[in-house]
Amino acid sequence: MKPARGGVGSRIGLPVVLGVILLWTVVPLAWMVLSSFKPTEDLTATTPILAFAPTLEHYDALFSGGNNIGPYIRNSLIAAGISTVVAVVLGCLAGYGLARSRFRGKDHVAFWIISQRMAPIAAVILPLFVIFRFTGLLGSTWGLIVAYLTFNLPFAIWIMNAFFSELSPSLEEAAMIDGATRWSAFRDVALPLVLPGIATTAILCLVFSWNDYAFAVTFSGPDSQTLPIAASQLVTQTSIDWGQLTAIGTIVVAPMILVGLIVRKWLVTGLTLGAVTGE
Amino acid sequence: MAVTTRKAPAAAARHRRPLLRRGLSFEGKMLSPALLVLAAVSIFPFIYIIAMSLSSVRMIGGISFDWVGLDNWTRLFGDGAVWGSWLRSIMFFVLSVGLQMSLGIGIALAIYETRRGRNIITSLVLMPMFMAPVIVGLLGRFLTDSTYGLYAWFLDTIGLYNGDILGSRTSAFLAVTLMDVWEWTPLIALIVLAGLTSMPKQVLEAAAIDGASYWSRLRDIVLPMISGVIIVALLIRSMDAIRYFDIITNTTNGGPADATKIVPIRLYETAFRFFDLGYAAAIGLSMLAVTILMANLFMRILKQRGLAR
Repeated sequence: MKPARGGVGSRIGLPVVLGVILLWTVVPLAWMVLSSFKPTEDLTATTPILAFAPTLEHYDALFSGGNNIGPYIRNSLIAAGISTVVAVVLGCLAGYGLARSRFRGKDHVAFWIISQRMAPIAAVILPLFVIFRFTGLLGSTWGLIVAYLTFNLPFAIWIMNAFFSELSPSLEEAAMIDGATRWSAFRDVALPLVLPGIATTAILCLVFSWNDYAFAVTFSGPDSQTLPIAASQLVTQTSIDWGQLTAIGTIVVAPMILVGLIVRKWLVTGLTLGAVTGE
Repeated sequence: MAVTTRKAPAAAARHRRPLLRRGLSFEGKMLSPALLVLAAVSIFPFIYIIAMSLSSVRMIGGISFDWVGLDNWTRLFGDGAVWGSWLRSIMFFVLSVGLQMSLGIGIALAIYETRRGRNIITSLVLMPMFMAPVIVGLLGRFLTDSTYGLYAWFLDTIGLYNGDILGSRTSAFLAVTLMDVWEWTPLIALIVLAGLTSMPKQVLEAAAIDGASYWSRLRDIVLPMISGVIIVALLIRSMDAIRYFDIITNTTNGGPADATKIVPIRLYETAFRFFDLGYAAAIGLSMLAVTILMANLFMRILKQRGLAR
């Protein structure tokens, strides 16, 4: 659509609107990153300070002494990483199976899968808490991995199903006429064609589980706490160390924004569970 | 991704075969590992939560279930506090999803009109939605802190508000709602933008040549054309809005005076502060019922649009 001639969306109006949008979106993030480099006295000034001598003291504090966040980072990486890998591998297989099969009751299976993704976390936490307590998974990283699978696995199956469904089966059929087995038609023909889909699925699974707070706060123990827990633990009854908090916030957020934007082109497909495609 | 090759009906028919004939078909074999794992992490807990909702669950010295029949359920329907939480959930839902939809559509239209720097603007606008909600909550708390919060200072300076934002009922409710709006409006914008870019250009150009104004083109052509995409965006956000939890837990934790105690927060408190797990299970199942209703709607729309195969 061309900018309307003489309409409200005129040449002057649009930049102003865009400016407001960008301010609204970027200011909180920029303020967080900026604050993480501010000396403590500038941080707690009653009027906002923009000119300050940048310091790494808050980052230093996060990696030294009693509240070293190193173990938290490791726990986050392990829990999010393993659940992502398991979800993507199983999701690729099942997504392909679902996309290519035409059995009776397929709709019900599909509905069951997607309803698992949409189930409210609070309702999933309760039974898992009791079950984990029974089985000794409470407080372990394995418990977290299982918990993350409850949302990552149905998500991965569903998205990979969407990506495989967009692929015409004719290529695989041609390969099979040339003597390929079903498996090699899947592995050598279909799978390479959905690499963007696999990357999108993997990154979104990673983002979901890396960002999780509700499961981690309920299921993790002293040895398995993740980064979001470390962040919320910086808030105590008496005081909040905003320097460390904005620093840890930057550490939690920056990698996810980076990987998220890498797959921007396919994000819509992923985040609408395959209902909308393209950019 | 805009080009989608739909499977021809003939090809589909060729593949139509029973899932179980001479053992498991290839597709069945591909599906079964994932479905077995999914069943293990979902069906078993589902049966468990139903059992919990019919029991009084005690956590002292192991776990014991005492059958109480429908006690938790009758209590649920007569519990004014839980109804209050549902009311707050609905208020939050309407305000948050309403704002996200209108702002998201507006942002998408503005980006769609932009020629220069469109890529970088889109990327910047999308950033909040990759953030851990717990960080959004803590950051919101930082920005609204009455002594050194940037936004608190701003509101005070322009003379709009000078109280403790998270400390009084209305402003706290508005603040946690706006935090969710801030994080998820980009998702709506992204989805709507995808809808806008997939519109055929000729129709719009024809309308522009006919002299239709921007607003009438928007109302009569653009919005009807992307209505399907808008509904998808609405449903996706609706399902998440019902589970809203992390931000409130890390800002107001339901307060002040229950002003932000939406259903998930009450459920969590019932379960893990009062350890009334049976009752919490009943609340959880009622939430699940609402979600399943929405999932149903979502599936129906997917099918209508020929997207669920």
